[in-house]
Amino acid sequence: MGRAKLFGAGRYISCYLLLLPTYVLVSVFSFVPFIWAFSKSFYRYEVGGESEFIGFANYLEYFSDPTFGPSFYHMGFLTAFAVVVGIVVPLIVAKLIFSLRSEKLKHIYRLLFLAPIVVPRVAVLMIWRFMIYDDGGMINEFLRVLRLGEMATGWLFNPTTALWAVAFIGFPFASGIHILIFYAGLCNIPESVHEAALLDGATGARKFLTVDVPLVLSQIKLLVILTIISWVQGFEWILIVTQGFPGYKTMVPGLWMYYNAFSFQRMGYACSIGVILFLVILVLTVLNLRYFKSAESVQGVG
Amino acid sequence: MTAKRIFKNLTLLVILAIMVWALWPEREKEATAPQTGTEPGSQAESVREVKYEIRMVPGPYMPGTVPMNIGDPLEALQRVADEFERLYPDTKIEFVNVPSLREWLVTQLSSGKAPDILSVNVEDAWQDVHKGWYVPLDEFLEKPNPFVEDGDPGSEQWWDIFKYQAITRGKAAPDGKMYCIVLDMVETGIFYNKDIFRKLSLEVPTDWEEFVDLMKQLGEADYVPILLSLTRMYDWGLDLIFDQLYYSLLPGIDLKKDPIREEYMQGYLDWDELSFLFGKGFFTRDDMRFREIWRILKEWRDYANKNLQSEVLTKLFVTQKAAMYWDGSWMVQKFSKSPDIDFEWGVFYPPPIPSSYSEFADGHDMCVIGGAAAQYEITSSAIRDTGDIATSERLRRCVAFLQFLTKPRNAELVVNEVSYFLPNVKGTSPVEALLPFDEMLKRRYTTTKWVYTFDNRFLDVLRRMLMLYLDGSITIDEHLEWMEKNVASATSTVARRKELQLTDFEKRWKELEPYRKDMKGLPDGAR
Repeated sequence: MGRAKLFGAGRYISCYLLLLPTYVLVSVFSFVPFIWAFSKSFYRYEVGGESEFIGFANYLEYFSDPTFGPSFYHMGFLTAFAVVVGIVVPLIVAKLIFSLRSEKLKHIYRLLFLAPIVVPRVAVLMIWRFMIYDDGGMINEFLRVLRLGEMATGWLFNPTTALWAVAFIGFPFASGIHILIFYAGLCNIPESVHEAALLDGATGARKFLTVDVPLVLSQIKLLVILTIISWVQGFEWILIVTQGFPGYKTMVPGLWMYYNAFSFQRMGYACSIGVILFLVILVLTVLNLRYFKSAESVQGVG
Repeated sequence: MTAKRIFKNLTLLVILAIMVWALWPEREKEATAPQTGTEPGSQAESVREVKYEIRMVPGPYMPGTVPMNIGDPLEALQRVADEFERLYPDTKIEFVNVPSLREWLVTQLSSGKAPDILSVNVEDAWQDVHKGWYVPLDEFLEKPNPFVEDGDPGSEQWWDIFKYQAITRGKAAPDGKMYCIVLDMVETGIFYNKDIFRKLSLEVPTDWEEFVDLMKQLGEADYVPILLSLTRMYDWGLDLIFDQLYYSLLPGIDLKKDPIREEYMQGYLDWDELSFLFGKGFFTRDDMRFREIWRILKEWRDYANKNLQSEVLTKLFVTQKAAMYWDGSWMVQKFSKSPDIDFEWGVFYPPPIPSSYSEFADGHDMCVIGGAAAQYEITSSAIRDTGDIATSERLRRCVAFLQFLTKPRNAELVVNEVSYFLPNVKGTSPVEALLPFDEMLKRRYTTTKWVYTFDNRFLDVLRRMLMLYLDGSITIDEHLEWMEKNVASATSTVARRKELQLTDFEKRWKELEPYRKDMKGLPDGAR
């Protein structure tokens, strides 16, 4: 009885019991690996080999690793690029769809923009690698048609173009999910706000920038966090399209962590990179939550 | 309204059914896959009790696959397995395809879930033999192969059955143990378009200077002189040029005479020797030969295709835009069977570097850099019945299958089904198109294999930096700086992992001092 009180109310005990399996699974598959990785980051540990405690040596080695600076720069560049284009383009597209008068057309456009998500990500990346950026790919063939053949290059393997080529994968960046999220945000703006804006003489681009954008800040904040997490943690794009080539020109910390863990068998070292990435995500998320005003606060101020 | 809806749904259903029907695979195609257990005598298979289910990664001989999409699906290995299963009804051989990624292999081996028989370059296995992931095969190789007739090679020792003895025995690990069975051989060669050579009155070069001159002439005639890929450069090119420049130093730097392997390896430099030599200044910025290797590779690269990572090299050769193509003997399958080839082609080996081209070269023949192709290792998964090599019956079944596979008739059947490799079993012959490679394989073995000597991190840095250097994105000094750090890191890792005692080499190093006295271009610490 006393224990039930401790949890708030006895009648909710069945709810807690129902939630328990989920918490156990989350602990086993999320928290335990994290704690394990954190502890192994202080060891020289090879897969299948012996462990040896080495304190902060893995961290210090990583800070002097020749890939450290460049890979964080690449990650930062790709993340910033993805955040900007992943917010701007879908928001504009969502606004355009939202502004359509015909409900049927709105439905069709939403469907059309959402349809490409059924194509597996790996397939999309392969298309970009082999059909668009390759020697005989669309870009080079197009240049040859224009008699600009000397500009043809291996876009993903040319040191000066590789990072930009990776960043442009996904062009024109009209992500269906992002569009839907923004569309939902725009639908949630009360009609009275639109009317008030009209009375104040705000129309077109001015209304979009001063009324719509501030009121979808919650959605922007959500997508910024998701994009940052996706690009800081994720490395599958790079693994599939360039493997970090040419040289380390497209290397990112996540991919270096993966190589160290499974190719170089330096699991302890890889764990230390993982912990650093975790801290980076944590800091960026906190900053985003703290300094990015939400729609609620904007409305509250209004 | 309801009738309209029913009609609409029915129409959709019909369209869907037509699409499914149109996309359904044809029956005839299914029938082309190799059949198992359909021959007389194998009827009992469905009821036989299988005690040992052995999983094998057959590499290039995977039944049912079509090499380079030319010809019929492979079936020879399945036939051999079926025959083996009839001899051992309690054993089932299952062929599995696995990712060629080392990442996959490491996770499988460490969790004890790897297939029983693997096909990987044994040098990869060397990295991990101290972890007990692989079974040494020496005790089996020293005993007769029970499937060989009395008096035939292999009837006294399984070892004797192998045709290319030097290369085969050279696959023993630096710990002196043998972890693989070498079924076949591969070699590299420069394929060339004889029609283009005839048209431009060009001859096959006899030395590197002629070779460079040849590439120059081809370039001037608007052909891509030679097709090279990054892999070929860091794997084969590096070893070839290294051997050309360092072979003459061996009397003064070969520190270890391996009692088992020396007869075959002839001064091969292992990781412990390379690590010790690095401590003496070799393979650093002060080592003029080391610098020369990269210079030569760069000059060579400048005559090659623009993109070293290109996926369309073969196309350039087939369409006669390129005159030469450096690749492996597996390309014979394509060139001899493809209907797209409408020109005469030949193959030659990279020619030696004369002293007139490089002050550190002496013009000796280029060494072998190919060698063993399909290398079958038995993993620790094979002993899971008892956990002990001495008592595992499962392990003996795995060994028996490999012994059965190396029986001349079986090896020839399996290897010659594709025009990739040359059977490494006495009493067999390669397919005719591969005969030039048989001659190449008679050359001396390489001085070292850089790619396989150190860990994957070494390889990673090597290939990345070499690409930047070859494409002119970094200077030779920057590349040398990277390589020096890379060798330093790799040697310290291998010394720690293998607990190498490099101080043992000091005495031998002093003994060899007289040999080094007159050698030119040695680093300062190496006298």
